[in-house]
Amino acid sequence: ELVDKCIGSRIHIIMKNDKEIVGTLLGFDDFVSILCRTIVFESTPEGRRVTRLDKLLLNGNNITMLVPGGEGPETN
Amino acid sequence: MSRRQTPSEFLNQIRGRPVMVKLNSGVDYRGVLSCLDGYMNIALEQTEEYVNGQLKNKYGDGFIRGNNVLYISTQKRR
Repeated sequence: ELVDKCIGSRIHIIMKNDKEIVGTLLGFDDFVSILCRTIVFESTPEGRRVTRLDKLLLNGNNITMLVPGGEGPETN
Repeated sequence: MSRRQTPSEFLNQIRGRPVMVKLNSGVDYRGVLSCLDGYMNIALEQTEEYVNGQLKNKYGDGFIRGNNVLYISTQKRR
């Protein structure tokens, strides 16, 4: 469906914890997603960025929203 | 090019690699991945626990229940 189109391209994932993850979607199933070249944005007293290379296996349980082709913290 | 085997493919690839595991509580663990299952239960070796600063050092095996896992990240340096 929509997420299927997104495989291989950049996606922006917003989690329940107010964390945002931007990366390239490698794959997904009903429960988890795998990203590549991932950047994790966490909001602390400053705007902190945690960068990860290679792969990230993300638990789908905490995902609030998926934005295909999204950039980063543009939300509020 | 169908990559529909997301859990099992990842399982086979990242065993033995240094990973970073973040829990729902925000606690960070870095160690070498021993085992991982489809529920995201994890066995780690040489684990270090990070909460803001460095708290605990675990050598040997550490087990994390997958229920609490937010993500698992590999860090490969090419």
